Amino acid sequence: MMTIDQILTAITSGQKTAEQITREFLNVIAEKNPTINAFVEVFEADALAQAKAIDEKKARGEKLGPLAGVPVAIKDNILYKGHKATCCSKMLENYVASYTSTVVEKLIAADAVIIGRTNMDEFAMGSTNQTSVYGPVKNPADTTRVPGGSSGGSAAAVAAGMVPVALGTDTGGSVRQPAGFCGVVGIKPGYGRISRYGVIAFSSSADQVGVLAANVKDAAIALEVLSGKDVHDSTSLEAAVPSYTKDFTADLKNVKIGLPKGFLDGLGEDIKNKVTEAANALKARGAELIEVEVPYAKYSAPCYYIITSAEASSNLGRYDGIRYGYADKQAQGLKAYYENSRAPFGLEVKKRIIIGTYALTSERYEECFLKAMKVRELIRDDFKKVFSKVDVLLTPTSPTTAFKLGQQDENPLSMYLADLYTCQGNIGGLAGISVPFGKDGNGLPIGVQFYGPILAEDKILNVANQLEKSL
Amino acid sequence: MITKKDVELAGKLANMHVSAEEAEIYEGQLRALFGWVKELSSVNTDGVKLTNVNLSAHLRKDEPVCDPALAQQVRSVFTEQEDDCAKVKKVL
Repeated sequence: MMTIDQILTAITSGQKTAEQITREFLNVIAEKNPTINAFVEVFEADALAQAKAIDEKKARGEKLGPLAGVPVAIKDNILYKGHKATCCSKMLENYVASYTSTVVEKLIAADAVIIGRTNMDEFAMGSTNQTSVYGPVKNPADTTRVPGGSSGGSAAAVAAGMVPVALGTDTGGSVRQPAGFCGVVGIKPGYGRISRYGVIAFSSSADQVGVLAANVKDAAIALEVLSGKDVHDSTSLEAAVPSYTKDFTADLKNVKIGLPKGFLDGLGEDIKNKVTEAANALKARGAELIEVEVPYAKYSAPCYYIITSAEASSNLGRYDGIRYGYADKQAQGLKAYYENSRAPFGLEVKKRIIIGTYALTSERYEECFLKAMKVRELIRDDFKKVFSKVDVLLTPTSPTTAFKLGQQDENPLSMYLADLYTCQGNIGGLAGISVPFGKDGNGLPIGVQFYGPILAEDKILNVANQLEKSL
Repeated sequence: MITKKDVELAGKLANMHVSAEEAEIYEGQLRALFGWVKELSSVNTDGVKLTNVNLSAHLRKDEPVCDPALAQQVRSVFTEQEDDCAKVKKVL
Protein backbone atom coordinates (compact mmCIF):
# COMPACT_ATOMS: atom_id res chain seq x y z
CA MET A 1 0.00 0.00 0.00
CA MET A 2 1.23 3.50 -0.82
CA THR A 3 2.29 5.69 2.10
CA ILE A 4 1.29 9.36 2.34
CA ASP A 5 4.77 10.38 1.14
CA GLN A 6 4.52 8.06 -1.86
CA ILE A 7 1.07 9.41 -2.76
CA LEU A 8 2.27 13.01 -2.52
CA THR A 9 5.37 12.26 -4.58
CA ALA A 10 3.34 10.44 -7.23
CA ILE A 11 0.89 13.34 -7.55
CA THR A 12 3.38 16.20 -7.45
CA SER A 13 5.75 14.48 -9.91
CA GLY A 14 2.87 13.82 -12.29
CA GLN A 15 3.48 10.07 -12.12
CA LYS A 16 -0.17 9.57 -11.09
CA THR A 17 -3.23 11.77 -10.67
CA ALA A 18 -5.26 11.98 -7.50
CA GLU A 19 -8.14 10.46 -9.46
CA GLN A 20 -6.03 7.44 -10.46
CA ILE A 21 -4.95 6.91 -6.87
CA THR A 22 -8.52 7.21 -5.61
CA ARG A 23 -9.70 4.69 -8.21
CA GLU A 24 -6.93 2.27 -7.16
CA PHE A 25 -8.09 2.38 -3.54
CA LEU A 26 -11.76 2.13 -4.60
CA ASN A 27 -10.83 -1.05 -6.48
CA VAL A 28 -9.21 -2.55 -3.39
CA ILE A 29 -12.34 -1.68 -1.37
CA ALA A 30 -14.57 -3.31 -4.02
CA GLU A 31 -12.42 -6.42 -3.93
CA LYS A 32 -11.96 -6.83 -0.17
CA ASN A 33 -14.90 -5.17 1.56
CA PRO A 34 -17.44 -7.92 0.80
CA THR A 35 -15.31 -10.20 3.04
CA ILE A 36 -13.98 -7.75 5.62
CA ASN A 37 -17.09 -5.49 5.98
CA ALA A 38 -14.94 -2.54 7.07
CA PHE A 39 -16.87 0.07 5.10
CA VAL A 40 -20.59 0.63 5.60
CA GLU A 41 -20.70 3.17 2.79
CA VAL A 42 -18.25 4.23 0.10
CA PHE A 43 -18.57 7.82 -1.11
CA GLU A 44 -17.41 6.90 -4.60
CA ALA A 45 -18.86 9.81 -6.59
CA ASP A 46 -17.89 12.44 -4.00
CA ALA A 47 -14.41 10.97 -3.57
CA LEU A 48 -13.75 11.02 -7.31
CA ALA A 49 -15.07 14.58 -7.54
CA GLN A 50 -12.71 15.62 -4.72
CA ALA A 51 -9.79 13.87 -6.41
CA LYS A 52 -10.53 15.61 -9.73
CA ALA A 53 -10.67 18.96 -7.92
CA ILE A 54 -7.21 18.27 -6.48
CA ASP A 55 -5.89 17.43 -9.94
CA GLU A 56 -7.36 20.69 -11.26
CA LYS A 57 -5.76 22.58 -8.39
CA LYS A 58 -2.40 21.10 -9.31
CA ALA A 59 -2.96 21.94 -12.99
CA ARG A 60 -3.57 25.56 -11.99
CA GLY A 61 -0.22 25.57 -10.25
CA GLU A 62 -1.71 26.05 -6.77
CA LYS A 63 0.02 24.70 -3.67
CA LEU A 64 -1.36 21.34 -2.56
CA GLY A 65 -2.20 20.47 1.03
CA PRO A 66 -0.24 18.01 3.19
CA LEU A 67 -2.72 15.20 2.48
CA ALA A 68 -3.24 15.93 -1.21
CA GLY A 69 -4.98 12.99 -2.85
CA VAL A 70 -4.73 10.77 0.23
CA PRO A 71 -7.91 8.72 0.64
CA VAL A 72 -9.13 8.86 4.24
CA ALA A 73 -11.96 6.83 5.76
CA ILE A 74 -14.05 8.21 8.63
CA LYS A 75 -15.70 6.27 11.40
CA ASP A 76 -19.49 6.25 11.23
CA ASN A 77 -19.85 8.59 14.23
CA ILE A 78 -18.08 11.55 12.57
CA LEU A 79 -20.25 14.08 10.75
CA TYR A 80 -19.76 14.96 7.10
CA LYS A 81 -22.49 17.24 5.78
CA GLY A 82 -24.95 15.57 3.44
CA HIS A 83 -23.73 12.07 4.32
CA LYS A 84 -25.20 9.53 6.67
CA ALA A 85 -23.69 9.15 10.15
CA THR A 86 -25.45 6.30 11.90
CA CYS A 87 -23.11 5.16 14.70
CA CYS A 88 -23.90 1.76 13.17
CA SER A 89 -27.18 1.85 15.06
CA LYS A 90 -30.75 1.29 13.93
CA MET A 91 -31.54 4.36 16.03
CA LEU A 92 -29.80 6.63 13.51
CA GLU A 93 -30.26 4.56 10.35
CA ASN A 94 -31.66 7.53 8.40
CA TYR A 95 -29.66 10.34 10.00
CA VAL A 96 -27.90 12.62 7.52
CA ALA A 97 -25.37 15.09 8.92
CA SER A 98 -26.49 18.70 8.68
CA TYR A 99 -22.96 20.05 9.18
CA THR A 100 -19.38 18.89 8.87
CA SER A 101 -17.18 18.05 11.84
CA THR A 102 -14.02 20.06 12.40
CA VAL A 103 -11.82 17.00 11.76
CA VAL A 104 -13.38 16.40 8.34
CA GLU A 105 -13.16 20.14 7.56
CA LYS A 106 -9.45 19.96 8.35
CA LEU A 107 -8.94 16.86 6.18
CA ILE A 108 -10.69 18.54 3.25
CA ALA A 109 -8.66 21.72 3.77
CA ALA A 110 -5.52 19.53 3.61
CA ASP A 111 -6.75 18.15 0.23
CA ALA A 112 -7.51 14.66 1.53
CA VAL A 113 -10.15 12.58 -0.23
CA ILE A 114 -12.97 11.42 2.06
CA ILE A 115 -13.60 7.96 0.68
CA GLY A 116 -16.27 6.48 2.95
CA ARG A 117 -17.56 5.72 6.40
CA THR A 118 -16.41 2.72 8.37
CA ASN A 119 -18.09 0.10 10.51
CA MET A 120 -17.96 0.33 14.32
CA ASP A 121 -19.52 -1.05 17.46
CA GLU A 122 -22.93 0.56 17.98
CA PHE A 123 -22.43 4.05 19.43
CA ALA A 124 -18.74 3.13 19.94
CA MET A 125 -19.64 0.76 22.80
CA GLY A 126 -17.65 -2.42 22.45
CA SER A 127 -14.24 -3.94 21.86
CA THR A 128 -15.07 -6.38 19.07
CA ASN A 129 -17.12 -4.59 16.41
CA GLN A 130 -19.82 -7.22 16.88
CA THR A 131 -22.54 -4.83 18.06
CA SER A 132 -22.87 -3.02 14.70
CA VAL A 133 -26.26 -3.06 12.99
CA TYR A 134 -24.31 -3.64 9.75
CA GLY A 135 -22.84 -6.89 11.04
CA PRO A 136 -19.36 -7.68 12.36
CA VAL A 137 -16.07 -6.67 10.79
CA LYS A 138 -13.58 -9.46 10.08
CA ASN A 139 -9.93 -9.12 11.01
CA PRO A 140 -7.84 -9.06 7.80
CA ALA A 141 -5.11 -11.04 9.61
CA ASP A 142 -7.59 -13.90 10.18
CA THR A 143 -11.18 -13.51 9.03
CA THR A 144 -12.47 -15.88 11.73
CA ARG A 145 -11.42 -13.32 14.34
CA VAL A 146 -12.60 -9.92 15.50
CA PRO A 147 -10.75 -6.75 14.47
CA GLY A 148 -11.21 -5.22 17.92
CA GLY A 149 -13.37 -2.19 18.51
CA SER A 150 -15.01 0.08 18.53
CA SER A 151 -13.13 1.52 15.52
CA GLY A 152 -12.81 -1.99 14.06
CA GLY A 153 -13.85 -0.92 10.57
CA SER A 154 -11.22 1.83 10.42
CA ALA A 155 -8.44 -0.50 11.66
CA ALA A 156 -9.44 -3.32 9.29
CA ALA A 157 -9.68 -0.91 6.34
CA VAL A 158 -6.08 0.20 6.89
CA ALA A 159 -4.83 -3.33 7.59
CA ALA A 160 -6.44 -4.65 4.39
CA GLY A 161 -4.87 -1.86 2.32
CA MET A 162 -8.27 -0.34 1.46
CA VAL A 163 -7.14 3.06 2.68
CA PRO A 164 -3.83 4.49 3.96
CA VAL A 165 -5.39 6.50 6.80
CA ALA A 166 -8.64 6.28 8.72
CA LEU A 167 -10.18 8.23 11.57
CA GLY A 168 -11.51 6.50 14.64
CA THR A 169 -12.64 7.61 18.06
CA ASP A 170 -11.21 6.37 21.33
CA THR A 171 -13.16 6.44 24.59
CA GLY A 172 -11.50 3.48 26.33
CA GLY A 173 -9.08 2.20 23.70
CA SER A 174 -11.26 2.13 20.61
CA VAL A 175 -8.47 3.28 18.31
CA ARG A 176 -5.48 1.57 19.96
CA GLN A 177 -7.00 -1.85 20.71
CA PRO A 178 -8.23 -2.50 17.12
CA ALA A 179 -4.92 -1.13 15.84
CA GLY A 180 -3.14 -3.73 17.98
CA PHE A 181 -5.48 -6.55 16.88
CA CYS A 182 -5.16 -5.70 13.17
CA GLY A 183 -1.44 -4.87 13.10
CA VAL A 184 -1.61 -1.15 12.28
CA VAL A 185 -0.64 2.03 14.10
CA GLY A 186 -3.33 3.76 16.18
CA ILE A 187 -2.87 7.03 18.06
CA LYS A 188 -5.21 8.67 20.53
CA PRO A 189 -3.94 12.13 21.36
CA GLY A 190 -4.27 13.62 24.82
CA TYR A 191 -7.66 15.02 25.78
CA GLY A 192 -8.28 18.32 24.01
CA ARG A 193 -5.65 17.95 21.28
CA ILE A 194 -8.22 17.36 18.54
CA SER A 195 -11.63 19.00 18.33
CA ARG A 196 -14.65 16.82 19.02
CA TYR A 197 -17.02 19.22 17.25
CA GLY A 198 -19.25 17.13 15.00
CA VAL A 199 -18.34 13.83 16.62
CA ILE A 200 -21.37 12.03 18.03
CA ALA A 201 -20.86 11.97 21.79
CA PHE A 202 -20.60 8.83 23.90
CA SER A 203 -18.66 9.97 26.96
CA SER A 204 -17.67 13.61 26.77
CA SER A 205 -14.84 13.48 29.32
CA ALA A 206 -13.15 10.53 27.60
CA ASP A 207 -13.99 10.66 23.87
CA GLN A 208 -11.15 11.63 21.55
CA VAL A 209 -10.68 11.40 17.80
CA GLY A 210 -7.69 9.29 16.80
CA VAL A 211 -5.81 8.20 13.69
CA LEU A 212 -5.22 4.72 12.29
CA ALA A 213 -2.46 4.36 9.71
CA ALA A 214 -0.14 1.80 8.21
CA ASN A 215 2.97 3.33 9.79
CA VAL A 216 4.00 5.85 12.45
CA LYS A 217 5.02 8.58 10.00
CA ASP A 218 1.62 8.55 8.26
CA ALA A 219 -0.12 8.70 11.64
CA ALA A 220 2.07 11.68 12.59
CA ILE A 221 1.33 13.56 9.36
CA ALA A 222 -2.43 13.06 9.76
CA LEU A 223 -2.35 13.95 13.46
CA GLU A 224 -0.61 17.22 12.68
CA VAL A 225 -3.36 18.15 10.22
CA LEU A 226 -6.11 17.34 12.73
CA SER A 227 -4.68 18.90 15.91
CA GLY A 228 -5.27 22.34 17.33
CA LYS A 229 -7.69 24.66 19.07
CA ASP A 230 -11.22 24.88 17.70
CA VAL A 231 -13.61 27.65 18.72
CA HIS A 232 -16.48 25.17 18.35
CA ASP A 233 -15.09 22.87 21.07
CA SER A 234 -14.33 24.57 24.37
CA THR A 235 -12.47 21.48 25.58
CA SER A 236 -9.92 21.74 22.76
CA LEU A 237 -6.58 23.07 23.92
CA GLU A 238 -4.98 26.36 23.01
CA ALA A 239 -1.48 25.06 22.27
CA ALA A 240 0.84 25.19 19.29
CA VAL A 241 0.97 22.05 17.15
CA PRO A 242 4.51 20.83 16.58
CA SER A 243 5.75 19.35 13.35
CA TYR A 244 5.63 15.76 14.55
CA THR A 245 7.68 14.17 11.79
CA LYS A 246 10.36 16.87 11.89
CA ASP A 247 10.74 16.16 15.61
CA PHE A 248 11.71 12.52 14.99
CA THR A 249 15.19 12.02 16.44
CA ALA A 250 17.98 9.78 15.18
CA ASP A 251 18.14 7.78 18.40
CA LEU A 252 16.66 7.70 21.91
CA LYS A 253 19.55 9.13 23.91
CA ASN A 254 18.21 11.11 26.90
CA VAL A 255 14.78 9.46 26.58
CA LYS A 256 13.49 7.82 29.77
CA ILE A 257 10.98 5.03 29.31
CA GLY A 258 8.93 3.90 32.30
CA LEU A 259 7.95 0.28 32.80
CA PRO A 260 5.07 0.09 35.28
CA LYS A 261 5.80 -2.36 38.08
CA GLY A 262 3.92 -5.64 37.67
CA PHE A 263 2.42 -4.62 34.35
CA LEU A 264 3.26 -7.95 32.71
CA ASP A 265 1.79 -10.08 35.51
CA GLY A 266 -0.76 -12.60 34.30
CA LEU A 267 -0.10 -12.06 30.62
CA GLY A 268 0.46 -14.85 28.11
CA GLU A 269 4.05 -15.63 27.12
CA ASP A 270 3.77 -14.27 23.56
CA ILE A 271 2.72 -10.79 24.63
CA LYS A 272 5.04 -10.73 27.64
CA ASN A 273 8.00 -11.66 25.44
CA LYS A 274 7.17 -9.10 22.78
CA VAL A 275 6.84 -6.23 25.26
CA THR A 276 10.16 -7.22 26.86
CA GLU A 277 11.72 -7.43 23.41
CA ALA A 278 10.36 -3.95 22.59
CA ALA A 279 11.86 -2.54 25.80
CA ASN A 280 15.24 -4.05 24.94
CA ALA A 281 15.07 -2.72 21.37
CA LEU A 282 14.47 0.79 22.72
CA LYS A 283 17.31 0.40 25.19
CA ALA A 284 19.59 -0.58 22.31
CA ARG A 285 18.65 2.71 20.66
CA GLY A 286 19.81 4.69 23.68
CA ALA A 287 16.73 4.89 25.89
CA GLU A 288 16.98 4.49 29.65
CA LEU A 289 14.50 1.99 31.12
CA ILE A 290 13.13 2.82 34.56
CA GLU A 291 10.69 0.79 36.64
CA VAL A 292 7.89 3.01 37.94
CA GLU A 293 4.91 2.56 40.23
CA VAL A 294 1.40 3.54 39.18
CA PRO A 295 -0.55 2.12 42.13
CA TYR A 296 -4.01 3.45 41.30
CA ALA A 297 -3.93 2.61 37.58
CA LYS A 298 -5.37 -0.83 38.32
CA TYR A 299 -8.66 0.88 39.19
CA SER A 300 -8.95 2.50 35.76
CA ALA A 301 -11.27 -0.13 34.28
CA PRO A 302 -14.03 0.04 36.95
CA CYS A 303 -13.76 3.86 36.97
CA TYR A 304 -14.01 3.85 33.22
CA TYR A 305 -17.19 1.77 33.14
CA ILE A 306 -18.97 3.87 35.73
CA ILE A 307 -17.97 7.29 34.43
CA THR A 308 -18.42 6.59 30.72
CA SER A 309 -21.75 4.80 31.26
CA ALA A 310 -23.02 7.70 33.38
CA GLU A 311 -22.00 10.17 30.69
CA ALA A 312 -23.52 7.94 28.02
CA SER A 313 -26.84 7.81 29.87
CA SER A 314 -26.90 11.60 29.67
CA ASN A 315 -25.54 11.99 26.11
CA LEU A 316 -27.85 9.35 24.68
CA GLY A 317 -30.87 10.98 26.30
CA ARG A 318 -31.16 13.07 23.13
CA TYR A 319 -32.36 10.02 21.16
CA ASP A 320 -35.96 10.38 22.23
CA GLY A 321 -37.82 10.68 18.95
CA ILE A 322 -38.12 14.43 19.42
CA ARG A 323 -34.60 15.76 19.22
CA TYR A 324 -32.82 12.94 17.40
CA GLY A 325 -33.29 9.36 16.30
CA TYR A 326 -36.19 7.11 15.43
CA ALA A 327 -39.67 8.42 16.26
CA ASP A 328 -42.65 6.14 16.78
CA LYS A 329 -45.39 8.43 15.51
CA GLN A 330 -48.08 5.80 16.09
CA ALA A 331 -47.43 5.61 19.85
CA GLN A 332 -50.35 6.34 22.16
CA GLY A 333 -49.32 8.75 24.90
CA LEU A 334 -46.04 10.38 25.85
CA LYS A 335 -44.63 7.46 27.88
CA ALA A 336 -45.19 5.04 25.01
CA TYR A 337 -43.79 7.61 22.58
CA TYR A 338 -40.50 7.85 24.50
CA GLU A 339 -40.17 4.14 25.19
CA ASN A 340 -41.02 3.04 21.65
CA SER A 341 -38.78 5.69 20.12
CA ARG A 342 -35.84 4.51 22.25
CA ALA A 343 -36.48 0.83 21.49
CA PRO A 344 -34.05 0.60 18.51
CA PHE A 345 -31.00 0.75 20.81
CA GLY A 346 -29.11 -2.55 20.78
CA LEU A 347 -28.57 -4.69 23.89
CA GLU A 348 -25.09 -3.35 24.75
CA VAL A 349 -26.07 0.31 24.37
CA LYS A 350 -29.20 -0.22 26.42
CA LYS A 351 -27.16 -1.96 29.09
CA ARG A 352 -24.66 0.89 29.36
CA ILE A 353 -27.48 3.43 29.63
CA ILE A 354 -28.97 1.32 32.42
CA ILE A 355 -25.59 1.04 34.17
CA GLY A 356 -25.10 4.80 33.94
CA THR A 357 -28.62 5.63 35.06
CA TYR A 358 -28.33 3.25 38.01
CA ALA A 359 -24.94 4.70 39.03
CA LEU A 360 -26.46 8.18 39.00
CA THR A 361 -29.53 7.37 41.13
CA SER A 362 -29.55 9.20 44.45
CA GLU A 363 -29.02 5.88 46.30
CA ARG A 364 -25.91 4.94 44.28
CA TYR A 365 -24.48 8.34 43.29
CA GLU A 366 -21.94 8.66 46.11
CA GLU A 367 -20.73 5.07 46.27
CA CYS A 368 -20.55 4.64 42.49
CA PHE A 369 -20.28 7.79 40.41
CA LEU A 370 -18.70 10.17 42.91
CA LYS A 371 -16.32 7.46 44.13
CA ALA A 372 -15.21 6.70 40.57
CA MET A 373 -14.66 10.40 39.90
CA LYS A 374 -12.49 10.71 43.01
CA VAL A 375 -10.46 7.61 42.20
CA ARG A 376 -9.98 9.08 38.73
CA GLU A 377 -8.29 12.08 40.38
CA LEU A 378 -5.90 9.72 42.18
CA ILE A 379 -5.11 7.94 38.92
CA ARG A 380 -4.38 11.28 37.26
CA ASP A 381 -2.10 12.25 40.16
CA ASP A 382 -0.30 8.91 39.72
CA PHE A 383 0.43 9.67 36.09
CA LYS A 384 1.51 13.24 36.87
CA LYS A 385 4.08 11.91 39.32
CA VAL A 386 5.29 9.24 36.89
CA PHE A 387 5.72 11.71 34.04
CA SER A 388 7.88 13.90 36.23
CA LYS A 389 10.35 11.00 36.23
CA VAL A 390 10.03 9.49 32.73
CA ASP A 391 9.14 10.72 29.24
CA VAL A 392 6.90 7.88 28.16
CA LEU A 393 5.45 4.66 29.55
CA LEU A 394 5.56 1.30 27.80
CA THR A 395 2.73 -1.24 28.19
CA PRO A 396 1.06 -3.92 26.10
CA THR A 397 -1.88 -2.56 24.08
CA SER A 398 -4.16 -5.46 25.06
CA PRO A 399 -3.92 -8.50 27.34
CA THR A 400 -4.60 -10.82 24.36
CA THR A 401 -4.38 -10.90 20.60
CA ALA A 402 -7.57 -10.94 18.48
CA PHE A 403 -10.05 -13.54 19.65
CA LYS A 404 -12.53 -15.58 17.62
CA LEU A 405 -15.76 -13.94 16.52
CA GLY A 406 -18.36 -14.57 19.23
CA GLN A 407 -15.81 -16.09 21.63
CA GLN A 408 -16.30 -13.70 24.54
CA ASP A 409 -19.94 -12.71 23.95
CA GLU A 410 -21.20 -14.61 26.99
CA ASN A 411 -18.72 -13.06 29.36
CA PRO A 412 -19.03 -9.27 29.26
CA LEU A 413 -16.68 -8.77 32.20
CA SER A 414 -13.78 -10.41 30.38
CA MET A 415 -14.71 -8.29 27.37
CA TYR A 416 -14.43 -5.18 29.52
CA LEU A 417 -11.01 -6.33 30.74
CA ALA A 418 -9.83 -6.25 27.11
CA ASP A 419 -9.65 -2.47 27.66
CA LEU A 420 -7.48 -2.85 30.77
CA TYR A 421 -4.33 -1.22 29.39
CA THR A 422 -6.02 1.28 27.09
CA CYS A 423 -8.73 2.81 29.28
CA GLN A 424 -6.02 4.16 31.62
CA GLY A 425 -5.21 6.65 28.89
CA ASN A 426 -8.77 7.96 28.71
CA ILE A 427 -9.23 8.10 32.45
CA GLY A 428 -5.90 9.94 32.74
CA GLY A 429 -6.46 12.10 29.62
CA LEU A 430 -3.10 10.85 28.30
CA ALA A 431 -1.72 10.59 24.79
CA GLY A 432 -1.37 6.95 23.73
CA ILE A 433 -0.19 5.08 20.67
CA SER A 434 -0.28 1.41 19.70
CA VAL A 435 2.44 0.14 17.38
CA PRO A 436 2.50 -3.34 15.81
CA PHE A 437 5.45 -5.34 17.10
CA GLY A 438 5.54 -8.88 15.81
CA LYS A 439 3.04 -11.71 16.01
CA ASP A 440 1.94 -14.45 18.40
CA GLY A 441 2.15 -18.21 17.83
CA ASN A 442 -1.04 -18.08 15.72
CA GLY A 443 0.39 -15.40 13.45
CA LEU A 444 -1.81 -12.70 14.98
CA PRO A 445 -0.48 -9.16 15.37
CA ILE A 446 0.70 -7.94 18.78
CA GLY A 447 0.57 -4.26 19.66
CA VAL A 448 2.70 -2.43 22.18
CA GLN A 449 1.60 0.87 23.61
CA PHE A 450 3.32 4.08 24.63
CA TYR A 451 1.77 6.67 26.89
CA GLY A 452 2.80 10.28 27.30
CA PRO A 453 1.31 13.17 29.26
CA ILE A 454 -1.12 15.60 27.72
CA LEU A 455 0.39 17.45 24.70
CA ALA A 456 3.28 14.96 24.49
CA GLU A 457 2.15 13.34 21.25
CA ASP A 458 5.56 14.26 19.77
CA LYS A 459 7.33 12.13 22.40
CA ILE A 460 5.23 8.99 21.92
CA LEU A 461 5.38 9.31 18.13
CA ASN A 462 9.15 9.63 18.26
CA VAL A 463 9.59 6.53 20.44
CA ALA A 464 7.06 4.60 18.35
CA ASN A 465 8.95 5.57 15.21
CA GLN A 466 12.17 4.22 16.70
CA LEU A 467 10.49 0.96 17.68
CA GLU A 468 9.06 0.59 14.18
CA LYS A 469 12.55 1.08 12.74
CA SER A 470 13.93 -1.65 14.98
CA LEU A 471 11.70 -4.28 13.37
CA MET B 1 -27.20 -6.86 45.43
CA ILE B 2 -28.73 -5.75 42.15
CA THR B 3 -32.17 -7.15 41.40
CA LYS B 4 -34.43 -7.19 38.38
CA LYS B 5 -36.38 -4.43 40.08
CA ASP B 6 -33.27 -2.18 40.03
CA VAL B 7 -32.79 -2.92 36.35
CA GLU B 8 -36.42 -2.12 35.59
CA LEU B 9 -36.27 1.09 37.64
CA ALA B 10 -33.13 2.26 35.83
CA GLY B 11 -34.81 1.46 32.51
CA LYS B 12 -37.86 3.46 33.56
CA LEU B 13 -35.71 6.44 34.60
CA ALA B 14 -33.99 6.28 31.21
CA ASN B 15 -37.36 6.19 29.40
CA MET B 16 -36.61 2.73 28.03
CA HIS B 17 -38.79 -0.35 28.12
CA VAL B 18 -36.91 -3.31 29.54
CA SER B 19 -38.52 -6.62 28.68
CA ALA B 20 -38.59 -9.50 31.19
CA GLU B 21 -36.05 -11.34 29.06
CA GLU B 22 -33.72 -8.31 28.96
CA ALA B 23 -34.10 -7.75 32.71
CA GLU B 24 -33.04 -11.37 33.23
CA ILE B 25 -29.88 -10.90 31.12
CA TYR B 26 -28.99 -7.50 32.55
CA GLU B 27 -29.53 -8.53 36.17
CA GLY B 28 -26.68 -11.06 36.09
CA GLN B 29 -24.39 -8.84 34.05
CA LEU B 30 -24.95 -5.76 36.20
CA ARG B 31 -24.50 -7.79 39.38
CA ALA B 32 -21.09 -8.97 38.11
CA LEU B 33 -20.13 -5.48 36.97
CA PHE B 34 -21.12 -3.67 40.16
CA GLY B 35 -19.50 -6.43 42.22
CA TRP B 36 -16.29 -5.63 40.39
CA VAL B 37 -16.85 -1.87 40.79
CA LYS B 38 -17.00 -2.46 44.56
CA GLU B 39 -13.19 -2.69 44.41
CA LEU B 40 -13.27 1.09 44.35
CA SER B 41 -14.67 1.20 47.88
CA SER B 42 -11.32 -0.06 49.19
CA VAL B 43 -9.61 3.10 47.91
CA ASN B 44 -9.25 5.88 50.45
CA THR B 45 -10.56 9.02 48.76
CA ASP B 46 -10.86 11.17 51.88
CA GLY B 47 -9.97 14.74 51.05
CA VAL B 48 -9.84 14.12 47.30
CA LYS B 49 -11.23 17.11 45.45
CA LEU B 50 -12.58 16.94 41.95
CA THR B 51 -10.83 19.00 39.30
CA ASN B 52 -12.75 22.19 38.73
CA VAL B 53 -13.67 23.17 35.24
CA ASN B 54 -12.30 26.60 34.40
CA LEU B 55 -15.49 28.29 33.23
CA SER B 56 -13.74 31.58 32.54
CA ALA B 57 -11.76 29.84 29.79
CA HIS B 58 -14.95 28.94 27.95
CA LEU B 59 -16.33 31.02 25.18
CA ARG B 60 -19.49 32.84 26.12
CA LYS B 61 -21.93 34.94 24.23
CA ASP B 62 -24.59 37.25 25.54
CA GLU B 63 -28.08 36.14 24.75
CA PRO B 64 -30.33 38.98 25.88
CA VAL B 65 -34.09 38.63 25.67
CA CYS B 66 -34.79 40.38 22.39
CA ASP B 67 -38.45 41.10 23.01
CA PRO B 68 -39.44 41.22 26.69
CA ALA B 69 -43.03 41.99 25.73
CA LEU B 70 -43.27 38.75 23.75
CA ALA B 71 -41.83 36.76 26.66
CA GLN B 72 -44.46 38.29 28.94
CA GLN B 73 -47.18 37.55 26.38
CA VAL B 74 -46.16 33.86 26.24
CA ARG B 75 -46.10 33.61 30.04
CA SER B 76 -49.52 35.21 30.31
CA VAL B 77 -51.08 32.31 28.38
CA PHE B 78 -50.42 30.08 31.39
CA THR B 79 -52.76 30.81 34.24
CA GLU B 80 -50.65 29.08 36.89
CA GLN B 81 -47.05 30.12 37.40
CA GLU B 82 -44.36 29.38 39.94
CA ASP B 83 -40.79 30.73 40.14
CA ASP B 84 -41.14 32.28 36.70
CA CYS B 85 -42.10 28.89 35.26
CA ALA B 86 -45.44 27.93 33.77
CA LYS B 87 -47.28 25.13 35.56
CA VAL B 88 -48.66 22.49 33.22
CA LYS B 89 -50.64 19.32 33.69
CA LYS B 90 -48.66 16.28 34.75
CA VAL B 91 -48.26 13.98 31.76
CA LEU B 92 -46.34 11.03 33.20
